[in-house]
Amino acid sequence: MSSRTSTRSPLVTLLILIVGALTAGPVVMLIVGSFSEGISAIGQFTTAKYIAAYTDPTLPKTLLNTAIFSLGTATLSTVLGSLLAYLSVRTDIPLKGLFRVLPVVPMMIPHVLFASAWIALLNPTNGMINVFLRNLLGLSRSPFNIYSLGGMIFLEGLLDLPVTYLVISPAMYSFDTVLEEASRVSGASNLYTLRRVTLPILKPAFLATFTLAIIRSLAAFAVPSMVGMPGRITVLTTHIHRIISVGWSPDYGKAAAIGLVVLAISVALVYVYRYLISESSQFVTVTGKGYRPSIVQLGRARIPLFVLCLALFCFLVVIPLLTLVYMSFVPYTMVPSARAFSMMSLRNWQAVLRNSVIVRAIKNSTFLAVVGATLGILLSIFVAYVVVKIKSRGSALIESLSFLSFSFPGMIIGVGFMWFLVRTPLYATIWALLVAYVGTYLPYGVRPMRSAFMQIHAELEESARVFGATFLRALRDIVVPLLAPGVVSAWILMACMFIRELSVSVVLSRPGTEVLTVQIMRLATDGLWGQVAALGLIMIGLSTALVLIANSLRIPLSHGDH
Amino acid sequence: MQGMVTVKNLVKTFASKDEKVTALNNVTLSTPPNKILTLLGPSGCGKTTLLRCIAGLESPESGEIVIGDEVVWSKEKGISLPPERRGIGMVFQSYAIWPHMTVFGNVAYPLEIRKVPKPEIEARVRRVLELVQLSGFENRLATKLSGGQQQRVALARALVAEPKVILFDEPLSNLDAKLRESTRQELRHFLTELTISAIYVTHDQMEALTISDEIAVMRGGSIVERGTPQDIYLRSNNKFVVDFIGRANFLKATITGYKDDSHAIVVCPMGSIVCSAPSNLSVGTEVTIYTRPESFELAPDSPASPAPADPASENVFEGTITGLLFAGEAHEAQVSVGGATILVRIKSHRQLRKGDRVRLRIDREWCRALNPAEEA
Repeated sequence: MSSRTSTRSPLVTLLILIVGALTAGPVVMLIVGSFSEGISAIGQFTTAKYIAAYTDPTLPKTLLNTAIFSLGTATLSTVLGSLLAYLSVRTDIPLKGLFRVLPVVPMMIPHVLFASAWIALLNPTNGMINVFLRNLLGLSRSPFNIYSLGGMIFLEGLLDLPVTYLVISPAMYSFDTVLEEASRVSGASNLYTLRRVTLPILKPAFLATFTLAIIRSLAAFAVPSMVGMPGRITVLTTHIHRIISVGWSPDYGKAAAIGLVVLAISVALVYVYRYLISESSQFVTVTGKGYRPSIVQLGRARIPLFVLCLALFCFLVVIPLLTLVYMSFVPYTMVPSARAFSMMSLRNWQAVLRNSVIVRAIKNSTFLAVVGATLGILLSIFVAYVVVKIKSRGSALIESLSFLSFSFPGMIIGVGFMWFLVRTPLYATIWALLVAYVGTYLPYGVRPMRSAFMQIHAELEESARVFGATFLRALRDIVVPLLAPGVVSAWILMACMFIRELSVSVVLSRPGTEVLTVQIMRLATDGLWGQVAALGLIMIGLSTALVLIANSLRIPLSHGDH
Repeated sequence: MQGMVTVKNLVKTFASKDEKVTALNNVTLSTPPNKILTLLGPSGCGKTTLLRCIAGLESPESGEIVIGDEVVWSKEKGISLPPERRGIGMVFQSYAIWPHMTVFGNVAYPLEIRKVPKPEIEARVRRVLELVQLSGFENRLATKLSGGQQQRVALARALVAEPKVILFDEPLSNLDAKLRESTRQELRHFLTELTISAIYVTHDQMEALTISDEIAVMRGGSIVERGTPQDIYLRSNNKFVVDFIGRANFLKATITGYKDDSHAIVVCPMGSIVCSAPSNLSVGTEVTIYTRPESFELAPDSPASPAPADPASENVFEGTITGLLFAGEAHEAQVSVGGATILVRIKSHRQLRKGDRVRLRIDREWCRALNPAEEA
């Protein structure tokens, strides 16, 4: 017993320090910063920043926009995610297996690119769909304007669909269909059963999904910035971004004063989310028999719903990707035609690859993805181990700390890291981004690692100890090989997130530490859509390469040294 | 015929990955009105599938189902009523209590669908809750109740709309042993009191024996025997049924003659024995005879000049205890008699030791020869 504690408690203490620094550190500095005179005068107490931040005449409009944007986005993505989850889990829709994978695919496409593609299609001046419809119908004005709240909600709603789908579909799976059967034999029709039994029981799950979608859209930056700003629609993230990027002296104190409140709202919402998730799992009843869940026959609605799903998939993946490919070869945005095809060239690709800043950004992003994900997963493994295997006050603290940053909007935590790192030698180096990435995305590593650890029975490790292995030896010989497949998956997820990272980078990226997404936004601001597309495709290629390389490691890893 | 369910030539197969499983193999069955019929069998015998076909939760491939006077499913006539139009009540294994409703809400639901006026709903729900002894629980969330109470809510919900027939799908299997026993008696009491037609599915022989008016034993998608609990337990003519319900000693035997129409004399490894048997088997026929362990009794050690005609002196055997287990209410003894070893239950207040010699007697009624023609 004594050897246990002596090996383990320094580990726990060390982890608390690291995880605490990475998650609570920026929050504390955000608070300190919001009461400070300025970035070079930390600790000189003032409330001036709060007064300036909250008397800003543009704030009320920004808040209203934020509310409409968040609620609209959450509604759209919850409705679409629930519909897709219901259809793919519970009904006889064709190509069911495919529809289980499809909603997750858009996670591969970075938000900046998704927004770019739709801007190229739906912007009011030369959006391809708009131009096409104008010519076709002889309209004098464009029928669509993506630079609007509606456009923002449309894009962000689609982008959040994978998340809502992933949250709601387990609830659909665990739903006990006997509850519906009981309603049917009680005399209720299919529709009445849906209204009185199915939907009410799934209500907490819907609300949880909705809450999560609100948290995500509060943190959204790519769409508000690329689509909202040209339409002069400011939400809180773009408001904060303007405070720190426009004018001669970026005001990090004022940004902190607003960011802190957004952060508090997000944290509160995460607790609401947690509560709702536990509430929804209370409705999960245990069935004695493993009866196959009854499949709802869609009947005549089957084909129309299938077409609807296909259309959604086109909106999410096919249309944006085709648009990007096309755009990367034409000199400027134009409707596909014989002339457009005759003008196709590799010029955009060459321009991108000859731009030394962009090449540096590609290198930086690759470095951040590979090194950052490796360090991030390594830390996640230790955190998950402590959380799952060691039950102590320390491990509970680590769990809440690592969970805490789950709710942090990247932009605001970026400001927090700014305050946190400004006096350290890391400031304005690539390592500043690395630390901020790992801190911000730690939950995405800890969560999968945690469930991987929970699947490894304690006795497997204990027996190694009994037969003479030290704690670290048992970890290496028993736990790590069993964990390897989970580690690879989590690494892939984290590396891809780092490649497409935007909202933290936009605060911390400096000349010399440029990253891909920020460069794409620069190109977009300059209207170089062809180069945006080319660089975007390079970025997607980079993520795909990482996935493939990591996957090829999976097999030898999971088989250990034999 | 209120409450009568008739099933004709029902066939149902499940296609799993690469094999077809026949769940119902041409099942024909009609239930006695206002009685409890139990479908009993091991798991996978098709009993639950049959019940779910009757409920309309599963569709057969061919055949016909009639509830009361109404054809609810027929391949030939192209009729397929959905579950809600079959006028049934059902109690599920997991109770299927709706977690977002109160006890009252759960029980009132079938009446709300039938658009019963509010005051009447109140009265009827109250009455049925009283019946299942849940008065005062109306406003509780149903999931906050104990297993036994949830089971009673499920029963109340199935009863409240006065269905033509109530279907029970292993309703007691989620209760612990003690509670299951008392609930069994309660349930039997309710159903006989209310004279309701019920079809009850279980794999538990004791449950089937205590709760039913009639039992249909199923195996491999077919009904192998049908009868009252007494018929099934004591006078079964099917080896599978005998083996499935309780324990039995099976012995090979040969007919050597008949005492009367229904009792034969056979020779088996225990010796010569008089047993009830199908009539008209010729001398020399090989049969299987069976006895239940509890059918044996200890005979007095030294018979006082037995009269050969006295049935009390018939079927007496001497044997040696070769194995002994104490099982509380009885000893379970392995007794070697002649060339056979048989299992015998002997009341526990008798001191017994391994190696003791005992005299056993069995009544000719409780020793039965199976019809060789029907043996599977």
